[in-house]
Amino acid sequence: MKKLRVIWDTLKLQMKNSFVRPMFRFCLIANPIVNTVLIYEMFKNSGQENFTTYVILGAGLMGLWACICFSSAGDINRERYSGTLSLIFATPADFSTIIFGKILGNTILSLATLALSFLTAKILYNAPFQIASPGYLLLSLLATVVCFITISTVIAYLLTLSRKTQLYMNCIEIPIILACGFVFPVEILPAWVRPISYALSPTWAIKLMRMSIAGINNPAQYFTTFGILAGLTAIYVLLSSLLYQVIDRQVRIKATLEVS
Amino acid sequence: MLRRFFSQAWLYFKGQQAIFSFEEFICFQTAIPLLTLIFYCVLASYSFNTANLTRWVVGNSFLLCVNTCIFSLGTTFTGERYYGRLRSIIAAPVHKLAVVLQRGFFPMLVSVATVLIGFLAGSLIFGVDFTGINLGLFLLITFIAMFAAAGFGLLLSIFGLVTDGIHFVLNLSTYVLMIFCGANFPIAQLPKAAQFISRIIPLTRSIEAANMLFEGVHMPELIRLVLGEALLGTANYLIGFLVIRVVERIAIQRATVDVF
Repeated sequence: MKKLRVIWDTLKLQMKNSFVRPMFRFCLIANPIVNTVLIYEMFKNSGQENFTTYVILGAGLMGLWACICFSSAGDINRERYSGTLSLIFATPADFSTIIFGKILGNTILSLATLALSFLTAKILYNAPFQIASPGYLLLSLLATVVCFITISTVIAYLLTLSRKTQLYMNCIEIPIILACGFVFPVEILPAWVRPISYALSPTWAIKLMRMSIAGINNPAQYFTTFGILAGLTAIYVLLSSLLYQVIDRQVRIKATLEVS
Repeated sequence: MLRRFFSQAWLYFKGQQAIFSFEEFICFQTAIPLLTLIFYCVLASYSFNTANLTRWVVGNSFLLCVNTCIFSLGTTFTGERYYGRLRSIIAAPVHKLAVVLQRGFFPMLVSVATVLIGFLAGSLIFGVDFTGINLGLFLLITFIAMFAAAGFGLLLSIFGLVTDGIHFVLNLSTYVLMIFCGANFPIAQLPKAAQFISRIIPLTRSIEAANMLFEGVHMPELIRLVLGEALLGTANYLIGFLVIRVVERIAIQRATVDVF
């Protein structure tokens, strides 16, 4: 109960803190709008029937991922810059709980990018967009949120040890968008890239969402994809827990949290 | 005078890159821009359903300059304020146009190198045949494009004197370039009003001229495009210089050089 309260309070504070930053507002509001315009114009004459799925999902998820890169990943550095990193690390409320609250707050707020992407496509282009399996889409969306929370946690922990966060958060944005096939199927990537794509959980989350929008004719295929995503997410959770233990130990031995 | 110009330009450039090790500098200036180019080319191959990616390799190679010309140069004055040098720069008895040009010099050279590396790598990856083009003309077009883009970055940097949301401005400007310069889809697709934006931003004419080298050179048209780009770049520097003078005067009168 106490942990839930810490998570709830951190989540609320994080949402307020994130929203006042102009860069976060760019990722949250402007990024999905301009990406929708750019991707829609690229797909407009493609002749593909279901291209709005790629446009809306792609632009929305690119915005969501940008929010994660420039907020969840960068929050550690912001805490360090503000001189509060050591305080939240040593607090009895537990560092991992606070980080979880922050990432949860950011991810929930960042879901607005999907809605904005949809609205942009609808208002500017009157793009047709129909969800064939809304129930499955809701389940997929939930799985996507959990997937992005776990991957953000791994990245946030990794960046705790570095003070070049700004460089790294710029470096992780495009490779993930490219490898996970946010705006095209990963099957068009070269064969040697695909194992990397399949090892990244967002690839499967995006597949689930696309399948739900197109309509689930084969539930077994959907639940196989869901199972793979659940398995990868479990591995990420385990990895983040191990990382936390290593980082916690290193930080206490070296006492260099603020200067890393 | 000339020696001071180059030493100041080098010092400024060195100061900006000092935080990065050589490997990180290469990663930031080459690897990430190259991945961005690959992303947009793969997206184009899927959305336009084509194997001939010459237009996208050329267009996105030119867009690789945004890292340096927009982000590095755009944060010029914000950085100076952060390090406490802004007051000294404003008060120094030096021509502000020289200050502006100093900051643009080395980033422009780095951008030219990045564009050429991007073009070569992109050509190798996506099988673009550049053996038949006039490389001297291509180099000239690249230099003029980078001159104009650096001028645009400096013009944007002035916003840093009046707002704390410079990253918002720079990111939005990057998307404006990506959407309106014709790198990812033909500008003829855009509404007439939007095509006007294409004409007043850098890179549009250079990309058109560079594409012309592959599709057949019409010399009078090529000269018109290159001269237009050079004029646009010069106008950006001049406007930047005039706006700095105005902002500087206001800041001195209000004693707010170090605040927004």
